Amino acid sequence: MNNRNKIIFLFFSALLIIGGYAYFEFHKSSYKNIDAMSTDTSVNSSELISLFMLNENSANSVYRNKVIEVEGIVKEVTFLNNRNTVLLHGNNKYSSVLCDMKDDQVEEIKKLKKGQKVRIKGVCKGFLKDAIILHCILINTPINE
Amino acid sequence: MNKVIILIFLLINFADFETKPDQFIARQGQISFFSYTSVENIEAKNNQVLSIIDLSKNEIAISMLMNAFIFKKSLMHEHFNESYIESDLHPKATFEGKIKDFDPLMDGVQTRMIAGELTIHGITKEVEIKATIENTEGKYLFTGDFEVAVKDFDIKIPPILAPNIAKNISITFRFEYQPYEK
Repeated sequence: MNNRNKIIFLFFSALLIIGGYAYFEFHKSSYKNIDAMSTDTSVNSSELISLFMLNENSANSVYRNKVIEVEGIVKEVTFLNNRNTVLLHGNNKYSSVLCDMKDDQVEEIKKLKKGQKVRIKGVCKGFLKDAIILHCILINTPINE
Repeated sequence: MNKVIILIFLLINFADFETKPDQFIARQGQISFFSYTSVENIEAKNNQVLSIIDLSKNEIAISMLMNAFIFKKSLMHEHFNESYIESDLHPKATFEGKIKDFDPLMDGVQTRMIAGELTIHGITKEVEIKATIENTEGKYLFTGDFEVAVKDFDIKIPPILAPNIAKNISITFRFEYQPYEK
């Protein structure tokens, strides 16, 4: 291999590596495989709300940006702004756990009924008036009351 | 004569008592932002924005979690939260303001100015935002768009990425309010 070929070879190798790296960095969408991610902690929806209302900072340190599993009773299912959202009852009537479901969950969500007990896995983002969980999936066959 | 006055007085009072609740809530408001440059376009959406309007004072309050913005690319999400907005230090952005000349009882569409304080990245600025307000059967829909300058909120963008991020970010909002029962 002469010098010129070597340089060309190195150049293209470098380009390929950089390109590959850039491709993966830019195309990996976070939380695409939430079902494959391990759950950091599990909690009941009423308990989650009461923890956030008692001390938002300490609840944030436990739950914020963590993969959590929440068990709760369905309060409402909404399809506002083309999002599929399941709201779970909190410990009071003003606050709930707001679960933004992944697009592939839509068929399952349509079958949900108010008052039904469900288990949802997602990433907790924090608390406003409701606890907010994104990238959610239903993780069991819902049990009917 | 006195009876007539009392009757009119009572009628007015009863008409007043019939009014709807003063507070309305949107738990799933939507805020999107766009950054257009020749290098790339960046778009993010937050569908869990909280807002409450108080019609007795024509006040509006908005609060959102900065880490709940969804980007098309995860690297953008990471830069936004870790480098620009620093959402660990400043988890929320808020707005508190007054809706000028707003008539909550008027049906249909009205365009109003909302003046108030916008806080992003821990920096508070006075802003005035134009909103289209639609009142259908006692439910309110607020929509509109405005721009914010990145430099106003002390957001540091490394020089190497400066061409990728617009100086002014356009923001659109959509809030559907429902009566907030106390």
